[in-house]
Amino acid sequence: MDLMGTKGSESLPVFSRGTWESGEGVSRIGRGEIGGKAKGLVLMADSLLARVSPEEFPDFKITIPRMVVLPTGMFDTFMEFNDLWDLALSDTSDTRIAQAFHKATLPPEYVGDLRDFISQVETPLAVRSSSLLEDALDHPFAGVYATKMIPNNQPDVDTRFQRLVEAIRFIYASTYFRSAKNYFEGSGLDHAGEKMALIIQEVVGNRHEDRFYPRFSGVARTFNYYPSGGARPTDGVVNLALGLGRQIVDGELSWSYSPPFPAAPPPFNDVGDRMRNTQTTFWAINMGTPPPPDPMGETEFLLNLDLTQGERDGVLDHLVSTYDPNSDRLRLGLGFKGPRILDFGPLLVGETLAFNDLMRKILPLAERTAGCPVELEFAVDCDESGQHRFCLLQMRAMVIPEGESKVSPLDLNAPGVILASEHGLGHGMKNDICDIVFIKPEDFQLSRTRSIALEVEKINASLLAAQRPYMLIGFGRWGSADPWLGVPVDWGQISGARVIVESSFRELNPDPSQGSHFFHNLIGFGVFYLTVRGGGSSRINWDWLNDQKTVQETEFLKHVELTKPLMIRMDGLAGLGVVTTGTES
Amino acid sequence: MSSESAFNPFSVAQAEFDRIADLIGLDTGARQLLRSTQREYHFNIPVRMDDGSVQVFQGYRIQHNDARGPCKGGVRFHPQETVNTVRALAMWMTWKCAVADLPLGGGKGGVICDPHNLSPREQELLCRGWVRQASSNVGPVRDIPAPDMMTNAQHMLWMLDEYEVITGGRYPGAITGKPVGMGGSLGRTQATGYGVVYTLREALKEMDIKPQDTTASVQGFGNVAQYAIELYNRLGGKVVCVSCWDQNDEVSYSYLKPEGIDLEELKSITDHFGGIDHSRAKGLGYKVLPGEVWLSQEVDILIPAAIENQITSESVKLISDRVKILAEGANGPTSPDADPFLEEKGIFVIPDFLANAGGVTCSYFEQVQSNMNYYWELGDILSRLDVKMTAAFYAVFDLSRKREVSMRDAAYMLAIDRVAMACRDRGWI
Repeated sequence: MDLMGTKGSESLPVFSRGTWESGEGVSRIGRGEIGGKAKGLVLMADSLLARVSPEEFPDFKITIPRMVVLPTGMFDTFMEFNDLWDLALSDTSDTRIAQAFHKATLPPEYVGDLRDFISQVETPLAVRSSSLLEDALDHPFAGVYATKMIPNNQPDVDTRFQRLVEAIRFIYASTYFRSAKNYFEGSGLDHAGEKMALIIQEVVGNRHEDRFYPRFSGVARTFNYYPSGGARPTDGVVNLALGLGRQIVDGELSWSYSPPFPAAPPPFNDVGDRMRNTQTTFWAINMGTPPPPDPMGETEFLLNLDLTQGERDGVLDHLVSTYDPNSDRLRLGLGFKGPRILDFGPLLVGETLAFNDLMRKILPLAERTAGCPVELEFAVDCDESGQHRFCLLQMRAMVIPEGESKVSPLDLNAPGVILASEHGLGHGMKNDICDIVFIKPEDFQLSRTRSIALEVEKINASLLAAQRPYMLIGFGRWGSADPWLGVPVDWGQISGARVIVESSFRELNPDPSQGSHFFHNLIGFGVFYLTVRGGGSSRINWDWLNDQKTVQETEFLKHVELTKPLMIRMDGLAGLGVVTTGTES
Repeated sequence: MSSESAFNPFSVAQAEFDRIADLIGLDTGARQLLRSTQREYHFNIPVRMDDGSVQVFQGYRIQHNDARGPCKGGVRFHPQETVNTVRALAMWMTWKCAVADLPLGGGKGGVICDPHNLSPREQELLCRGWVRQASSNVGPVRDIPAPDMMTNAQHMLWMLDEYEVITGGRYPGAITGKPVGMGGSLGRTQATGYGVVYTLREALKEMDIKPQDTTASVQGFGNVAQYAIELYNRLGGKVVCVSCWDQNDEVSYSYLKPEGIDLEELKSITDHFGGIDHSRAKGLGYKVLPGEVWLSQEVDILIPAAIENQITSESVKLISDRVKILAEGANGPTSPDADPFLEEKGIFVIPDFLANAGGVTCSYFEQVQSNMNYYWELGDILSRLDVKMTAAFYAVFDLSRKREVSMRDAAYMLAIDRVAMACRDRGWI
């Protein structure tokens, strides 16, 4: 599905020099395709916003940040102009590719407009990828390419122009980094056919001394694969985080809730569990002393700050509860001394803003506008005058499972079941998997998850080369940016897995992966994702796994090969998944 | 100095100046100052030739006006140069720098000689001799020479070296046109050609015409033409005809391909003087036609990028009614008596000293970088060039609309007014 049909860049107005402040909210420099992200933004600007009445939410100004799109024509010309194709598509290291792109020149027909643009803009900017294949329904590509945020606060135009050019080159280079190449190999697509458009977008937020960030960011989905409590999958789910949305997109800790039940927290065991598993750091753009130059580093201009900095900046009033040790309870807001918990209590329980009302309005509207379930990224910025700005940043289609594959609770305990999950993602059946790669429970160490990631990558590469799909079983979150919450792999390192299992392990029992880029890849490739937590019918038969023929064993992993393929069924609506042997044991 | 010929280009330049001075109501003092050159240096350069004899060459440097900044202009070697031509060229440099809003004045100079008859050693001695005579009156804060007719980057390096020996320091900003890596600027080779197309692009925007919906015919296939064609192609335009001089046949030919010429293909059969091999061109499917045919093509845009006086009151009648824009890449390609006909035809003219100001603009960038001894990336230079040329175009265009005058007159009015203002601000007049 293509969110905008076959519209290319011609539907966007051309960027007009000297008119940034008064001109179009979305414009383009150059011609060509505008890519998935840009299409979603344009759809939001053209259609979705028109359906939200400003009078209905007087506390919010609902907007899309101004942006300029650089269609794929510039990318094509850039690659030709600098003769980069051979190097880009070769097996050269990311460092060499980054160096070559960093030295390359932007095509002359674009640089004048870019210089004029940057001379008019002095707010932080996000330079984001919008590739042709990105965010397409069946090839998610989410998180494969980079986003670079630049402070854009230098007094002279020359330096600001230089930083912008560096960011553009970096995003172009990321098209050909190893993680992207692995992704293409795993998907069977032709990398040479990929083209990159770019979005240069104002970052939503306020400046607090040397830090720039929004009050909070969020990712909202109109279909929830992990409903809890009384929520249904079609109720959707919203993830919120203080600061830049990178916190959520990269799979770090954030707060999630279902819009019909804003006061219902995610399933925590106790207050302590909640305190350990909520956000304690946040991302901001560094507006202060320039860091050591790292033009090919995605986080060159980003700061990771402690929650206490947010309190000093005075931005937590709608976002936190405070732990009261006397009563072992949480109290809404900042009115008490004590540890702060980013649970968005005042916002969602105290309804200090009509935020959830806005969510309940905008999510179904977005789904109707797109004609399919969607995921929305947004940022909210609050000013002291009472006017809040709700900015839509991205909209992309979600894949919803189709077809019948019923699994009942009784099936989870049937004979021959080697793995059962009461929290699964995906839908359908798989009967072509004969390889299982799992972390050995007896050797697992939380402090060594980075090493585990490297071992997985090697086994993944060999199985990919042999075209053997496999089931991957591990502890904590696969793909977590925080190595203490799970194994920090990127999608390219596990792209050959067609069933991924996250199991709890002793004290390691985080929420299932909600990093949206990973999430989308699972769905887009039809990867079944199963969570096995202690209690209930969820379980893994480790003894059976260890009895199978070992093909390879490393310090932390074992790869076993079966004589008959597994029978794997996943019921996406019920969330139940079951793995049985090829013959009954 | 060569004796003056009957045709006096400086008189023509002065007449042009007088007409514009009337239009803007310039006062007597300003007129007197600006219609004449400010300083002239004439000198002799003795050179011991390879055969042991000594030959004395006449050299000169003429500074028209430096109210806006140090003078800028080329040094040419030519056997038939006249002082009045050089005076005219120095004056036009003043106007060109002013219309591009560069902080520079106008100058020009050279040596009466034919470098084809000089060995490299003799040319080097000539260059160094020129500097020895002129050094106290040129330099990074006074007058910055550059290459011109029959001089090149090597000549500039010899001159710079001699200047630095005399002054006892390193002054890369004293001379421009140096090779990249020896104080030269990236982008210089593209600058003039790209500059023509930046102004063309803006003219098309004003006419609400997309470049990809246009075709063009170009006279010349040297540096300016090639880079103008390259950028025009990038913008989506199509060049269907290119005309150039054939050194062997001593006549010009036009090379026609209605579906659009292939720039790389033509470049591959072109010598370094910009002459296309006509027999190979035929083999590649180009129609080879008489040289003047470029002017009569059914195209939207004409770009004369070769020599002066190509579009006259006679040849202007050959221009198709379809032509909308004439972008003058060369110096003086349109004779003054052709202008009324162009206006009658409704053709939008981008005058030479605006359209081809990209070259001097990039020379200015070279001077700036050299003075800092810090050199910019190509993207930096081209983006600055784009913005500067675009601003120059709109300054002229807005004045043209406001005063209801032609673009050529508006360019002169703007330039002369700026120079006059600088003279007043300094208290000279």
